[in-house]
Amino acid sequence: MKITAFTQLITVLAVTTWVFLLPVPAVAIILVLELALLLYIKHDRLTMAAIGALTVFTGMMILLQLIFGSPLSVSLTGGLRMFVMTTAFLCLLAATKIQDIAQALVEKFHLPCEYAFMLTTALRFVPDFLTDSATTLDAQSCRGYSNRGNVFKRFYSYLAVVKPLVMRAVAKSDTLALSMELKGFGANTYQNMTPQRLCFADYLVLFLVMLLSLYPLWSKYI
Amino acid sequence: MNETAIKFTNFHYGYINSDIILHNINLDVRKGSFTIISGPSGAGKTTLCKAMAGIIPYYYGGRYAGDVEVLGVTTKGKRVSDLAMRIGLMLDDYESQLVSLTAGEEIAFSLLNHGFAAEEVEARTKQVLMDVGLPGRENYQLDELSGGQRQRLLLASVLAVHPEVLVLDEPVSAMDPDGANALYKLLYKIYKEYNMTVVVVEHNINFLLPYVTDMIVMNKGRVAAQGFFEEAAAMTYAIPELRRNLPELWQVKLNLEQRFGISLRAWRKEAEALEELKEKFVGGALG
Repeated sequence: MKITAFTQLITVLAVTTWVFLLPVPAVAIILVLELALLLYIKHDRLTMAAIGALTVFTGMMILLQLIFGSPLSVSLTGGLRMFVMTTAFLCLLAATKIQDIAQALVEKFHLPCEYAFMLTTALRFVPDFLTDSATTLDAQSCRGYSNRGNVFKRFYSYLAVVKPLVMRAVAKSDTLALSMELKGFGANTYQNMTPQRLCFADYLVLFLVMLLSLYPLWSKYI
Repeated sequence: MNETAIKFTNFHYGYINSDIILHNINLDVRKGSFTIISGPSGAGKTTLCKAMAGIIPYYYGGRYAGDVEVLGVTTKGKRVSDLAMRIGLMLDDYESQLVSLTAGEEIAFSLLNHGFAAEEVEARTKQVLMDVGLPGRENYQLDELSGGQRQRLLLASVLAVHPEVLVLDEPVSAMDPDGANALYKLLYKIYKEYNMTVVVVEHNINFLLPYVTDMIVMNKGRVAAQGFFEEAAAMTYAIPELRRNLPELWQVKLNLEQRFGISLRAWRKEAEALEELKEKFVGGALG
């Protein structure tokens, strides 16, 4: 059963609403379902690392809330909500090609194609940026860059890494813009793709999403 | 074979807030030729390539005079993307020119932009990946491809729209000699197979010596030599400051011809040179 990117986006948006609408036990069940789904779709090292990092981040969020005086139950609920919302996006990214998500955003949500393209480009250039960052750090270390000293000193010396990195990113963005021009980027990009038609599975999922979203209404009257 | 693919007529160009980069360029790139553009750094080779693709002056602005014609059509007032259907350009920084996340999406990108139907996009993507030696890699993430494979993927994305002229600006600048030789061998195969016009900017002519038919040598923003490779090489050798740009083999050949007043064949491989030198110098007429 394969559902379209449009339905998946709607589901993710709905999940982010449900975490505030549904009772905490129901949100916890959604989390379990999300994790099972995520591990079913993808269970490589990267996915495990993402879940691990998210867990640590959630732990820190809960800890911060406790430090600032929130009761334990509120902190835990906040952490759970954040975890569920983020895992929903992880599921979306694991299940769908980013190009399909961009297409759905342009076709169904009428997002300008430039913004949709930004989404795919940002993901495309993250590994390149990390590589450039490591290379620049190595190069500047050879020239005497050191990250020792107090926070201000370290921040100031880190400018020696940031400056060339920014210059390189600007140069790359110029080449990218030129490349897009050469490849005729414009409104046609997403319009000419094979349309994503909704099938029975999509309608079923959308119906369930609607049903759960109306929980406050039917829990009150039924 | 004598038709012109690209024609520069009295072309001058200077970027915004810069001196004039190209001075009075008059040159012809023959249709069906495999042309190399060579010359020292800062000679204006990349600017010349950009003018061929219509990027100059459309994208960069600046001051210009004269005209550039691509396949009989002036580039004046033409959008870069319109010209891209007939002339494909590959810039030197290949990493930054890849805009998608998978190999298939990368090739489909320009095809979809130019309005090809989804079935045609699929067929061309499959074919062009086979042409560049990456068959069945449609769903590969860019991270899963090596530097050389990414380079070939970019070439595939340019070839997918079936341009009649292909311009490559220092395509092997970040590659090792083996990778460079492999890419040029592939390029020559495509050139022969599709009967294209190929223009390559390359410092190291040694890589292209077996394949090149024509040569343009740039120096300080002017055309120093142009024509069939043999003629242009002789013209270049006559200018002392440009001699070192020629392949070592041809420096030897032209030096011997000058010193002994003889005529040697147009060497394309070391073996050919060795054979003729043995013939003429070891126990031969000049031995």
